[in-house]
Amino acid sequence: MKVKYLIEKIEGEAELEFDFKNGLVDNVNISFPFYRGIEEILKDRDVMDALVITPRVCGICNHAHLIASVRAIENGLSKAGINIYLTQKAISLREFTLSCEIVHSHFKWFYLVALPQLLNLDGIKKPDNYILKASWASTNIVKALAIFSGQWPHASYAVPGGVSCDPTYEDIIQAEALVDEVTRFVENELIGMSIDEYHKAKEISNIKGDMATIFGMMAKQNMKEKGKSYDRFVVLGEHPIFQSGLYNKKYSNDISFAHIKEQTQHNSKAKSVTYKDMCYEVGPLARAILVKNDFILNLHDKYKDSALTRVYARLDETIRLLVYMKSLLANLNVKELSCTLAKMPKAFEASGVGIVEAARGSLIHQSIIKDGKIQKYNIITPTQWNLSSGTQKEAGVAVQAMKGSVSIKEATFVFRTFDVCSVCTTQ
Amino acid sequence: MKAETKRGKKKESIIKAALTLFSLNGFHKTTIPDIARRIGMSTGNIYNYFASKDILAQEIIKYTSEVLGTEIRKINQQETLSTHEKIHKIVEVYFTMATKKPEMIEYFLRVYLSHREVFVGECDKMICVAGFITEIMIFFADGVECGDLRDQDFFSAFGLFMGYLGGMAFLNGEAILPRALEDYIDDIAYNIYNALKA
Amino acid sequence: MAKSTKLKILWLQSITCNGNTHSFFSHPDFVTLMQKFEVIYHPLLDSVYSLENVINKKLACDILVVEGAFRETGMQKANQEIYAIAKSYAKKAKHVITVGNCSTFGGVFRLYDTESIGGFCFNDETPNEAYKLFKKKLISLPGCPAHPRWIGNLLSMILSQRQILLDNFHRPLEVYGYNAHAGCPRSEYFEWKVDSKNYGHKEGCLFYEYGCQAPYTHANCNKILWNEVSSKTRVGTPCFGCTEPYFPKKDLWHTNTLMGIPASMPMGVPRRAYLTITGIAKSFSIKRLNEPIIKYKK
Repeated sequence: MKVKYLIEKIEGEAELEFDFKNGLVDNVNISFPFYRGIEEILKDRDVMDALVITPRVCGICNHAHLIASVRAIENGLSKAGINIYLTQKAISLREFTLSCEIVHSHFKWFYLVALPQLLNLDGIKKPDNYILKASWASTNIVKALAIFSGQWPHASYAVPGGVSCDPTYEDIIQAEALVDEVTRFVENELIGMSIDEYHKAKEISNIKGDMATIFGMMAKQNMKEKGKSYDRFVVLGEHPIFQSGLYNKKYSNDISFAHIKEQTQHNSKAKSVTYKDMCYEVGPLARAILVKNDFILNLHDKYKDSALTRVYARLDETIRLLVYMKSLLANLNVKELSCTLAKMPKAFEASGVGIVEAARGSLIHQSIIKDGKIQKYNIITPTQWNLSSGTQKEAGVAVQAMKGSVSIKEATFVFRTFDVCSVCTTQ
Repeated sequence: MKAETKRGKKKESIIKAALTLFSLNGFHKTTIPDIARRIGMSTGNIYNYFASKDILAQEIIKYTSEVLGTEIRKINQQETLSTHEKIHKIVEVYFTMATKKPEMIEYFLRVYLSHREVFVGECDKMICVAGFITEIMIFFADGVECGDLRDQDFFSAFGLFMGYLGGMAFLNGEAILPRALEDYIDDIAYNIYNALKA
Repeated sequence: MAKSTKLKILWLQSITCNGNTHSFFSHPDFVTLMQKFEVIYHPLLDSVYSLENVINKKLACDILVVEGAFRETGMQKANQEIYAIAKSYAKKAKHVITVGNCSTFGGVFRLYDTESIGGFCFNDETPNEAYKLFKKKLISLPGCPAHPRWIGNLLSMILSQRQILLDNFHRPLEVYGYNAHAGCPRSEYFEWKVDSKNYGHKEGCLFYEYGCQAPYTHANCNKILWNEVSSKTRVGTPCFGCTEPYFPKKDLWHTNTLMGIPASMPMGVPRRAYLTITGIAKSFSIKRLNEPIIKYKK
């Protein structure tokens, strides 16, 4: 039996076509309906234009696209023999603003998607204050982001060699106050305890707040057994707080870009992506596994890559990022240069790759530059890893995770534990 | 109002006299009493109009720049003219001035460009020739905008245009040119256009 | 259930990045504000109807908000052309709001295929067929994205029946009557023609080399600030002119010049007037403006 289901609202639109066998999901075809042609739009444009155009791929993770595109330009310049280095100040500012966006996105996912969808699965009417919480927390954390980037969404403040802003201590203090406010929100609402206590808590059951609510419901739905996929993870972006590498039964830090392959899928405008012809999961769970986060490893030992582990990893990351963001601000040295590249070379040839960890996982931008103009631009988004229908050889990560679900409601919840973003999937 | 006009006219006559003397005898050799004598004014009265010789020198360059700027402005405002035709007219204006009022061009070449130490403070950089420079800028910008001229740095274009004209005026002043300055207008306009065209 | 007397809002998305939706969600009073309306459909808020309801049923709607660029055919949702759906709701709505540059002029996504993709009522600056039908109720809120307060305040003004004056492109004058340069902390550098030497400095103006379009971009960004705290020019990024029909121009980080003279003049300023002032301002070297504002001790 085939049944179609339309994913809509926050995530954009995707169509899932379920194949049921004996009352269980046997296969799912995922299609994203519309291609917008960002890669084509960039052709023949000045290389710097990518910093303005590529954020327009996505209203939620635009900042990650900005950082990926500036990294691609910098990588290209380096390979063309131009000395590129960033001051610690520029690195920290980019890390801070990117983290703000990830945290903001996790809040939206949790309060606008995950909690309401679970309640829906349980047949409970959701309390009105979830949208208020999502709004308050995400608004305040992007405000901290905007202090340095000028605005959110769609800032372009990262430029080759650093950042365009030159903050004062006063700016930093304002950002610190906002991070403090959001941290207080997390402590009061999300986990119901201080972050110190959270780090000492060894069991999920000790955690309170809205996180307790979601785990209660997930336990009821047996989510520690549901949503399991291949248990393969990849992290490609280089960041001080993350560890790039691969996990497939064992760890490997030896990643070669040549093994990453994109492939078109029929029925969908999105391309699937594989590493050595295998599907890998990207995102907060992958990052937690690769960085060997004890908390998550513990859960993973017990429940593998279940929906529970995945949901937990995303929330745990939110908390860790807030702590990281505070330390970035505390150590920011305003006396350093913001941007070290005095002048962009006028006409140069280069091919560069820029990879960052975005809210939903590794985001790759590749550009080929000739005469200072973009010849070819290619974007591989996190959701292409997680949400493709798969290859001829194996089903996609999310498809595998949905197999065996007893209902569409259950399967779509599992689907949403990956945090869907259709606009990113089809640029 | 009437007094103002009278004062303005007086000022202009001092400028004109000084202009002639400066370019004839040189800036340093010309004194305020020389100028006073030429127009039958008392030396003290001249100081009522210009506080020093340096200030007078600055006012003169502003004056000549305005005169030349006004002429080029008239050309710029004739929208039916092609860029080549405009160049022709600018060359014509410049050479006519060099022939009919040689003291103005002479002053620019021999005083303004040779005594930069005088043109400081309120006359720093190109402020005193702004009236003229502005019109040349507009001429260039219009030319690029309509597609006739090649886009480049302002000074590389300006140097080619004005350096050329100034050089010809200088050769003429030194009586080196075998022919009258106006005989060169067609060729020079043609050369400038070819050098700057898109 | 008692029949709601609230104005009904329908928010429809076409070819979009969802940027305006997320921008609006950053409005500090988003939830309170939206509670004053009956939300027929919105991409983030819970609504009584699903997208399929919107597409299939002919629902009542007072305010239609459209986000994203349009094409007559080839942009479907649930097997229906979104353009046809938007037009049918626009016919019955009292107000049609195009939010963002894409839905107003075509924006970034128009560039993929300028033959078939455009704004709801304009293709760049040219009014299209739909303009003739809806011009009486059209309000444009271009921007990439539109500022949350532009959207929020417009909805509140409709609600409170205040006078909304519009410009030629139907943009509210209270927002777009200003230019993005007004309120820029770098304006002193603009006045005295002191360029930014490089990225990453508090000092210098971005108009001369770095492509800043603020002096001729209609928007009050530097008056009301983004996310209540900042703006592009405040963090050393040029304004890219995202409220204008020609956004995004080519070479966004470079000032278009004609023989070294900025090709576009500040709004309403004749070239001769600009160059006269520039010539004078440039002749003075103001020491203070050529030094760092703050020199931190080592």
